[in-house]
Amino acid sequence: MKMRKWASLSLATIMLTAVLSACGGGGKANEEGQTGDSTSNKPVDITVLVGKEEIAKPFEEMVREYNELQDQAKVTIIPLAGANGYERMSTLYASNNAPTVISIGQELPLMQDKLLDLSDQEWVQHASAGTLDYATFDDKVLGMPMAVEAFGFIYNKAVLDEVSGGSFDPDSVRTVDDLKALFEKIEASGMAPITVSPLDWSLGAHFANIMFTNQSADRDERHQFLEEIKNGAVDLENNAVFNGWMDTFDLMKAYNSAKNAPLAAQYDEAPLYLADGQAAMWFMGNWAYPQIKEADPDGEYGFLPVPISNNPDDYGNSQISASVSLYWAIDKEQSTPEQQAAAKDFLNWMIGSEKGQDYYVNQFSAIPAFTNFQIQPEDSLSQSVLYYMDNERTLEWMNLYFPPDGFPTMGASLQKYLTDNLDRAGVAKEFEDYWKTKE
Amino acid sequence: MYNEKTWLGKLKVFGLFAAVPLFVFFTVVILPFLAGLFMTLTNWTGTGSYEFTGLSNYVVALRDSVFWDSMWLTLKYVLFTLLLTNVLGFGLALLVTSGLRSQNFFRAGFFTPNLIGGIILGFVWQFIFTRVLVYLGTEFNLGIFSSSWLADPGTAFWSLVVVGVWQNAGYMMLIYIAGLTGISASLTEAANLDGASYWKQLTRIRIPLMVPAFTISLFLTLQRSFMVYDTNLSLTRGGPYRSTEMIAMHVYNEAFVYQNYGPGQAKAFVLFLIVALIAILQVRAMKKVEVEA
Repeated sequence: MKMRKWASLSLATIMLTAVLSACGGGGKANEEGQTGDSTSNKPVDITVLVGKEEIAKPFEEMVREYNELQDQAKVTIIPLAGANGYERMSTLYASNNAPTVISIGQELPLMQDKLLDLSDQEWVQHASAGTLDYATFDDKVLGMPMAVEAFGFIYNKAVLDEVSGGSFDPDSVRTVDDLKALFEKIEASGMAPITVSPLDWSLGAHFANIMFTNQSADRDERHQFLEEIKNGAVDLENNAVFNGWMDTFDLMKAYNSAKNAPLAAQYDEAPLYLADGQAAMWFMGNWAYPQIKEADPDGEYGFLPVPISNNPDDYGNSQISASVSLYWAIDKEQSTPEQQAAAKDFLNWMIGSEKGQDYYVNQFSAIPAFTNFQIQPEDSLSQSVLYYMDNERTLEWMNLYFPPDGFPTMGASLQKYLTDNLDRAGVAKEFEDYWKTKE
Repeated sequence: MYNEKTWLGKLKVFGLFAAVPLFVFFTVVILPFLAGLFMTLTNWTGTGSYEFTGLSNYVVALRDSVFWDSMWLTLKYVLFTLLLTNVLGFGLALLVTSGLRSQNFFRAGFFTPNLIGGIILGFVWQFIFTRVLVYLGTEFNLGIFSSSWLADPGTAFWSLVVVGVWQNAGYMMLIYIAGLTGISASLTEAANLDGASYWKQLTRIRIPLMVPAFTISLFLTLQRSFMVYDTNLSLTRGGPYRSTEMIAMHVYNEAFVYQNYGPGQAKAFVLFLIVALIAILQVRAMKKVEVEA
């Protein structure tokens, strides 16, 4: 009896020690990764936190290929694992496990003290115009643009060709009246003109973006507007851009394929409607192309700007929102110089090598934010984005400057408007009230 | 309870049975709790340095009308799920202990929803609410199902209640079955001989003897409904327009999605106080009605 008791006690002790040493072991391995081992030729371990779930799979393949191609660095992916980007970043930083390479968007200003200055990198020279603005702090470039993302009215060319009797010219729609005439023509031919996906990010981040960018063609002036709305100095109800923008929203609401139950519309159905021609247009962005392609591999698609006035020359009526929303950044706080160098190499390979570019363009369906890419996207929707970019007809993504609760709040107001639970004055008031709290 | 007389003997038993759980409990519950409490007094943003800001996070949290809307919604949700889950659970328990032929099959069937994870369950029900019911509604012209229940704040709330009840009623049924079968047969036999009706037996003998089962079930449903997150996330994501954001989701969003760590954590602490208070009151009230046979 006595014997048995001692046996179980020692067993418990062993287990406890095992638990404790496991923790210690983890810490040690971590430390090793921190200090690096420059004397031997062991590859440097670097980690990448990827926030874009859509490209997770091809990204994994790309990393595997990169690891096989060279022996200087070994890249490991840290998945988001269901958490949101900022949550994951803060836990990794707090546990002294900061990722070497981070995909980062709206969190950039919060994290700027921790990120490496990348201004000396070659790609800085080749970045498309304006794409570095958001990632530049005190003249230091802290992020490498991931990809250009664009949104506007996506249209199914075959459907619009049929409706307009001939090849549809996207430049023919420049005013709210043009848009209305087009919607009427589509409806007359028995189709739903447009799908409005009632998601808070689509309405509150993307559609709302247009109201801010179209305030002025001058970057400083429109950012001034953002400051003024925070100070409560903006009277939205009497703002011409706001009213024109709501006029367009009224049209979208009236010709919505789901107008009987606007909030019941499902995101997954919209690309199918668009591909089948059940709805001729969709307010969305080029990230939805993989789903559209799946439903209609040979179809031709393009972007239409969102017009907000009846003067075709007004700023925004011939531009689509196209910008970079995510950047690659490198940690400088917890990563060793060796790790930082390896991370720079990895980023350069990703956008500089033929393999990396191929993955970028063909596997991630990304539109490169660099002018020197050898491989260019060939699908019709990307071509449409490139057309607007080449002609410098793009709008900034000002929603990157919205506070984190900006899109859910403004999205909620627009959702209420869609279901007639709020009128135009109400939207104006809710927007103003929200922004006043952000002074 | 212990036979050990010496100090060393007591220490051995403690080390054997309590040290590891206590260590784990301390590191994963007590420490984070204290760290969280500390965090509410600072302006920490998740990374980097911080300053003490006194009680300003609590002021921000308590002044936020969305927080109170969410709290009110959660209380409403708790009230309805608490009542419906336990009524249904108890009803099912009576049904499957009444001597039906296939009662084991039914027991398993009613319990199954509890084995499905909340996220999956939410998606299954999302499909039912947005597709199946809408299809039936339009096909057979049923007004209440003609559009998705999840698209309207009022019906979205009831969808959450339906799913919550459906998920938990089976589990509570199991507890009530245990309570019912635990009642000594001699008591019901005696009541039968005395000519007590089924209803009388239920209200005068069975229910009073089952108060411990009610205490557990009420406590569990209370806690589960207050802390509901997974079905809320996969069923409505707080939509439409943040009208079905339950308190747990609200706290999470405040801290991590809207990146207001301080106020978010302060709200979590306020929530803790409210839930702890309600739970203590409930258990205390139930203790008073417990009887011994």
